[in-house]
Amino acid sequence: MGEVPTIWEKISALDKRILYWALFLSLIIPYLRPLGLPLSIAETTYAVYNFINKLGPEHTVVVGIHSGVSAWPECLPGLVVVTKHLVQRGVKLIFWSIGYVDVDLTMDAIKTRVPQLKGPGEIAGPGDYKYGINWVYMGYIAGGEPTSAQLADDIRAVLRADKYGNLIDTLPIFSNVRNARDIALVVTSDTGDYGWYYVRQWTMRYGTPVAEIGIAMIYSEFMPYYRAGLAIGMLKGVRGAAEYEKLTGFLGEATVAMDAMNISHILTILAIIIANISYFMTRRKGGAK
Amino acid sequence: MMPYPTTIEGIIGAWVGALLTLAIYSYILYKETRIYRLGEHIYIGVAFAVSLITATTQLWKQVILRIMAGEYIYLTGVILGLMLLTMPFKRIRWISRYTMSFLVGLGFGVGIRGVITADIIGQIRGSITPPTITTATPLDWFNFIWVCIGTLLVIAYFTFTVEHTGLYYYPTKLGRYILLIALGVYYGNTVQFRMTMLAGRVQFLLQVFKIIPWP
Repeated sequence: MGEVPTIWEKISALDKRILYWALFLSLIIPYLRPLGLPLSIAETTYAVYNFINKLGPEHTVVVGIHSGVSAWPECLPGLVVVTKHLVQRGVKLIFWSIGYVDVDLTMDAIKTRVPQLKGPGEIAGPGDYKYGINWVYMGYIAGGEPTSAQLADDIRAVLRADKYGNLIDTLPIFSNVRNARDIALVVTSDTGDYGWYYVRQWTMRYGTPVAEIGIAMIYSEFMPYYRAGLAIGMLKGVRGAAEYEKLTGFLGEATVAMDAMNISHILTILAIIIANISYFMTRRKGGAK
Repeated sequence: MMPYPTTIEGIIGAWVGALLTLAIYSYILYKETRIYRLGEHIYIGVAFAVSLITATTQLWKQVILRIMAGEYIYLTGVILGLMLLTMPFKRIRWISRYTMSFLVGLGFGVGIRGVITADIIGQIRGSITPPTITTATPLDWFNFIWVCIGTLLVIAYFTFTVEHTGLYYYPTKLGRYILLIALGVYYGNTVQFRMTMLAGRVQFLLQVFKIIPWP
């Protein structure tokens, strides 16, 4: 008769698919019954909030969409809530992307979630953002860092018209905007190096402040720039967006997603702890190598 | 709150998205099945099509229209681009190297302007500047000391001109551990990112199946 496997051996041999199902189900529950777990606000999120709170209708902000549709769960809530805050402050907005070709889809998603942004030809009511006057969308611009540098030097050297073919000189929003010096802030939503491009080409050369809404990995990479005063603040993925939603009161998708995030993280931590205990217990017995 | 899609294309789009999500995630349960491969191929095809159309539109708007308007300087870019297309042909591949050297030079030249000030001087300044004495909390001082000492120890670990023995043994060992902690933090952030992706898909599926409201 063979030896009866211990509980640790059974855990070591557990089918991974059971864990995946457990994770999947644990993510569903918070969406069905929100738990409202507490959320502390990071200093970096406060920094972005406080900076934008000082801006007004006389300022123009560039919102760089450098995250694709695949990163929507992480980056879109941040883009939306910061846009809502900027709209609340009456700041003029220029949207573009120097990184992702699917930016039109992200712009549509922002527009749907921030209904004040009225597109060309749409009727703008009181409090709405009129296209060409309060906001504008330039679409995708190829070229990466050299393009970022050229835009900082002279926007008109790169762009002659907006996404819809309207010439820049016919758009009132550009009447006082020529280069990076005329921009009060760049908000960049990144899954890659684009935030660095703005720090190097806009902040270092023209002093234009940069705020980062990156995926979680970008946060730790961008932290030295924040500490060095080269970025005014950062939002850490969906968590940063949830913090910003709490600060502004525009509760949305990030707040809903945070419960699911917390539960999934707790499950992951438990799985790591149990797997390690089981590894050492079975190794001591001479099982796992 | 937005309503559930009501147009035919909106409903079809949502359901196709949901079914493709299930097809892609079927990989972790059932490995590479035909359903997974179908989802994978559709994804690659759509991504390529979007990139191709965007690139063509860019070329048309940023280059062709400008040349047609008499701005012949943009022909330089066209010629350099065409030279790059010789890369697959062994006999004339050397032509593409001129464009490559131009691109490398341009990228380096543009990047270097900010690299020294932002990535080197700025980072050093950020690391060695102590917090303001009047407002700093004990945690700020801990962070400052941790960053200063950590940076020096990790640099020591990466100094390979001196053997990591004797007086140099413990500092480099410690530097290695600090590096591992940093990598752990980075990995933790990666886990957060991947979990968000999964949570986003779960939310989308629940929305499409009308279990929870549309965003």
